[in-house]
Amino acid sequence: MARAQGTKLVSLVILTAAICASAESRKEFRFTVGPGSVVSIANQYGPITVKGGSGNQVIVNAVLHSDQIEIDHTQSGSRVDLLTHLLSDSNADTGRVDYEVSVPADASVTLRSSTGVLHAEGLHGDVSLEGSQASVEVRDISDAHVHVRTLNGSVALTNIRNGHVEVTSVGGDVVLNSVNGPLVQVNSTSGKIRYEGDFSNSGEYMLTSHSGDIEASAPNDASIDVTARSVRGKVENDFLLEPKHTNFAMKAGSAFAGTMNKAASSVKLFSFSGRIHLKSLQATR
Amino acid sequence: MTDARQLQGDKLSEAQAIERAKLGDAEAFQFLYGLHRRRVYSLCLRMTANTAEAEDLTQEAFLQLFRKIATFRGESAFSTWLHRMAVNVVLMQLRKKSLPVVPLDETQENEEEAPKKELGAQDPMLSGSIDRLRLQRAVDALPPGYRRIFVLHDVEGYEHNEIAAMVGCSIGNSKSQLHKARMKLRESLKTSRAEKAAKPY
Amino acid sequence: MNCAEFQEVLPEVFEGDRTAEQESHLQSCSVCSSLVAELDLIANEARQLQEVAEPNPRVWASIEIALRQEGIIHEPQMRPTLLPAVPRRWSMNWLAPVAAAAVIAAGVVVYQRGSAPPSSTPAGPAVAQVVPNKLPITPLSVNDEDRQLLDALASRSPAAQKQYASNLQNVNAYIRDAEESAQADPNDEEAQQIVMDAYEQRAAVYEMALDRSMP
Repeated sequence: MARAQGTKLVSLVILTAAICASAESRKEFRFTVGPGSVVSIANQYGPITVKGGSGNQVIVNAVLHSDQIEIDHTQSGSRVDLLTHLLSDSNADTGRVDYEVSVPADASVTLRSSTGVLHAEGLHGDVSLEGSQASVEVRDISDAHVHVRTLNGSVALTNIRNGHVEVTSVGGDVVLNSVNGPLVQVNSTSGKIRYEGDFSNSGEYMLTSHSGDIEASAPNDASIDVTARSVRGKVENDFLLEPKHTNFAMKAGSAFAGTMNKAASSVKLFSFSGRIHLKSLQATR
Repeated sequence: MTDARQLQGDKLSEAQAIERAKLGDAEAFQFLYGLHRRRVYSLCLRMTANTAEAEDLTQEAFLQLFRKIATFRGESAFSTWLHRMAVNVVLMQLRKKSLPVVPLDETQENEEEAPKKELGAQDPMLSGSIDRLRLQRAVDALPPGYRRIFVLHDVEGYEHNEIAAMVGCSIGNSKSQLHKARMKLRESLKTSRAEKAAKPY
Repeated sequence: MNCAEFQEVLPEVFEGDRTAEQESHLQSCSVCSSLVAELDLIANEARQLQEVAEPNPRVWASIEIALRQEGIIHEPQMRPTLLPAVPRRWSMNWLAPVAAAAVIAAGVVVYQRGSAPPSSTPAGPAVAQVVPNKLPITPLSVNDEDRQLLDALASRSPAAQKQYASNLQNVNAYIRDAEESAQADPNDEEAQQIVMDAYEQRAAVYEMALDRSMP
């Protein structure tokens, strides 16, 4: 009797594993593209990772976590579009697809996901990432624009150079590490903003929040013209700034302003109720 | 501008036009433009002495005003608000062109531009009224720094402390520049009158 | 006091009270008194230059075109009722999110109609149709457009509805603070930019709530 029950249990386990294995499937797509290709991926549930490489192919490896999903794909010239199509009422588990994509380094990439993670690296084409709860990671992007939009997902940008960087995050924290370019703009409602870098490139750096704290760390040789103001929060400054003629300090709130070295870049830090701290990198190391 | 005249015929007041403009009413905007266009354009023209530039600056001043009209609460006169905005637009444009709005000190002035001092025997007097066209030409011919202070003070009626804040000079500098502008105009008007008198026909 | 000394202080003489010495020189010196009279004349006549010039009609034409393109001028009957409340002073750079917000607001109506149960009556405004079973949420600081959006989300994902309600409260607080700051000084360009930043946050919430890119 016990042996019969044991046999039934093993059979049940094997059957369940088989069912699960058959629900998950892998697909691969390859697209040959020309220079300056455009790749767009919309995936409601699941991560998307895009890496730049050599060659002229877009190679997509996708893991579909149920058989209630299809991947719609189209190519028009050097434009490739992929869309995760949910066949029935799905949730974050049954509707999930994991994408790993390799693209030519000069490709422009647009990624959308509700849950994420969205990851892009090694590119010098424009990068645009959007996700409501998705965490976003972007690294090693040069000579291209980076646009990120998220509601509550965290954002981490690392080693981004020589392009426009624009980040809109409602509640997610934003961390910028070695991000430099002619324009770096972060706008947050309640998410914290942390910048660590040298504010170089004679750029315009604007970090704005409603209630999120703003922490900017720079080396002593940073060349900046900085203004910082918080209407209701505290402001702190680790540097000895050269004074400059401005009347901004007459506005409400706590503030400081001044220049360092040759004041090549403009840095504006503003919050209504967040705390602002301009920190010395030497002091924190 | 027949639409604006119709609105005037309907006795739309400026206050009513402002409230309607806040709601996006096209006729209201046109009415407000009609009320103030000459004043703003004349200011821009006097300050720049260039028709095309004055038209661009007039357009920009009104656009800036209309974009912000929702924030106008009526604490000051609308014309004052518009006028101040127009002056700021003109001064910003002049700064962008890196032209000195006003010489920071008198040593920067070109010797040729400085008006002559009046000593000794006087020339025939400038009296009665001055022909508007002659005055206009004389103002246009003023060096830019003199012209701007003269326009802001004598034409537009700003006080020296206001001018000093707007153009970024001292009150003393503003007074000094104004005086020199008037002296230069006096020279210019007397010269043109003498030239006119000397013509055979 | 001689003429040179008097003319040295002329800028001050015009602006304020004259001293006895200055007055005395003016009375006795025809050269200086003529000079003062002529400069006074120029100053007084200058006012006639105030409104002398008429701008080319193309100036108004250009202004009107720009105002229409920026949505500052609009015809009353064309205004969609479900537009999120956005300021009319947005520059052309922000037409994209404003347009997106209009599409999204329309999408809210379409979505609400789509999610209504089959047995519900087709007649009546879209808002009246949407009464799904949902968590009772009465968030603070949300307006009618926000409530419509949250109602639409409730039928799809109650958990998401809570999160979006919280986001909207925070974003609306941002907008409120930004607008107060801008109204305190209408000439403050930085404050105007912050208002636009705040509204961009709101547009982001709306667009992602309706998952315009998602099936």
